[in-house]
Amino acid sequence: MLEPLIPNNVVCHALEAMIFVSIACSILGVIISRMALSSIGFTMSHAAFAGAAIGMFVGGNAQAAAIAFSMGVAALIGPISDKAKMAADATLGVLFAMSMAVAVFLISYMEYMGRGLSASALLFGDVISLYREEIYALAAVCGLSIIFVLAFYKEISAIMFNMKIAEAAGIRVKLVYYILLFIIALSVALSLNIVGGLLIFVLLVTPASIASQFCFNVKSMFVVAPVVALLVSIFGVWAGFEFTLPVAPLVALLLTAVFALSVMLSFKRRINTKIH
Amino acid sequence: MALIDLKGIYTAYEGGDKAVIKNLSLHVDQGEYVVIGGPNSAGKTTLLESMNGLVKITHGSASVCGLDVSRSADEVRKRVGYVIQNFYFDPFTPFTVEQVVMMGRFGRLGLLKQPSKQDYEAADRAIRRVGIEDLVHKTIGTLSGGQQQKTMIAHNLAKEPEVMMLDEPFSNLDFHAREYLQGVFKDLVRDGIPTLIVAHAFDGLPDIPIHLVVMNSGTITYDMNCTAGEVEDIIRKECKVNGRCSSR
Repeated sequence: MLEPLIPNNVVCHALEAMIFVSIACSILGVIISRMALSSIGFTMSHAAFAGAAIGMFVGGNAQAAAIAFSMGVAALIGPISDKAKMAADATLGVLFAMSMAVAVFLISYMEYMGRGLSASALLFGDVISLYREEIYALAAVCGLSIIFVLAFYKEISAIMFNMKIAEAAGIRVKLVYYILLFIIALSVALSLNIVGGLLIFVLLVTPASIASQFCFNVKSMFVVAPVVALLVSIFGVWAGFEFTLPVAPLVALLLTAVFALSVMLSFKRRINTKIH
Repeated sequence: MALIDLKGIYTAYEGGDKAVIKNLSLHVDQGEYVVIGGPNSAGKTTLLESMNGLVKITHGSASVCGLDVSRSADEVRKRVGYVIQNFYFDPFTPFTVEQVVMMGRFGRLGLLKQPSKQDYEAADRAIRRVGIEDLVHKTIGTLSGGQQQKTMIAHNLAKEPEVMMLDEPFSNLDFHAREYLQGVFKDLVRDGIPTLIVAHAFDGLPDIPIHLVVMNSGTITYDMNCTAGEVEDIIRKECKVNGRCSSR
C-alpha cells in the first residue's frame, strides 16, 4: 500500500501494520472503555498469548492457535457471566488468570523439556519481520472494526450509554456484545506478534481515554481516538527506525505521555468559577 | 382487551433459595392506570422485570401485548416502555438528552436500520410531552436527578409503547414535576395505554379510577379498583394486616 512512498520494505510493512492495528484497536477501545470493560483488552491479549504458546507446543501455527484460543475465550465470557451470575469484569479476571497460567505452564514445560521457546516476541511484539499476508489480515480486521461500528452504530451507542436500559429498549444487546467480543479477539490475536501481548492493551485503552478528555459526544470519540492513535503510531515508527528504538514499546510510551498531557489540558475538567 | 395477562407466575433469581414472585396472577386491560404498592422487597420491581422478560419466569404463563413473554421477550421489550429504578450517569457521559430520547426508538427499529423522519418526530413529541425542550442539547450526566428522570421517561415515550411501566418515577422529582408527569401519564391512559407505576409516595395521583395492586412477599394481597384518595390508606391497611409496613 505504501511502497511507492516508502522504498524500504521493512519500514513500510512496520508502518502499515501499526496503522491498521492502531485504527482497529482504538475504535474498539472507545466501546470497551465506555462500557467499563477495559479488562477485555488484557484478557484477550493473554488468551492470544496462551493460544500462541499452545500452537508452538503442538508444533502448529502459533497465530492460528492464538486466534482460535482467543475466539474460544470470547465465546466463554458471556455464558460464564450469565451462568455464574458474575459481573463481566470478574469473569474476565478468571479467564485472564487461566490464560496466563496456560501460557506460563507451556513455556516453562518446554524450557524444562529442552524445547526452548522465546516468549519475548509474543510479549513485546516485533514489527521488523512481517509478512505481506499479515498486513492483509490486519487490514481486513481494521476494515471489519470500521464496518462493525458503522453498521451497528445505533445499537453500540445505546449499549455504551447503559446496557440495561438498552436491553429494556428492546435492543439485541447480547448479539452486538458477542460480535464485539469476537472482533476484539480477532484484532488482538492478529496484533500479538506486532505489538505484543503486553502492549496491545495500551492501544485498546489509551487512545479512547485521550479522546474522552476532549470529546462531548461519542461520534467525535470514534474519530479522535483513531486519529490520535494513528498519528502517534506513525511518529513512533519513524522515531523507532530513525533512532533504533523498539517501535511498539515506544508507541505505548508516547501514547501514555499524550494521555498525561491530555488530562492536564482537558477543558472538560475545568470548573467555571465565574460569578456572572 | 387484556394487554397484560399473568397466570400463576413464579420468578426466581439464580442462586436464590426461594421464588421472589409466587403464584401471582394479574390482568390489566387497555387504558388502565395501575398503581403497584407494598413494602420494600415485596417483589414490585421483579414483577415489572418479569413482565419485560428481563427476569426469567419459571412457572405459569405471562402474556404482554398478546405475546408470550418467555418466548418473545425481545419483541415484548420493543413494545413496552420501562423506566428502570436507580440509574446513575456520570458527568462525562457523552450523550445528549436528544440522543438518549432517540435511543428509545432503536429497539423498535431493529438491527441495521437507520432512524427515519418519523422516528425523529416521535422523539421530538416525547421531548415536548415531558417538557424538556430546553435540555435537548445538554449531556445527560450534567443534569439534575429530576431532569434525568424526565429524560428517561421521554426515552420510553419515544418508543410509542403499547404498555408503560415505571419503577418509582417520582423518586427524584419535586411536587410540581410530579404533578406535571402525573398529567402526562393521565394522557397516556386516556390514549388507551395501560400505565403501571411502582410507587412509595402517592400525593398528586390523578383523579381517575385506579387499579391498585398491593404486593407483599412476592404475592398480590390486594387487586381492585379504587380512587386516588383511597390508595395510601388501603396500602397501609394491607401492610398492617400482613405484618409488614413500608418504610414510608
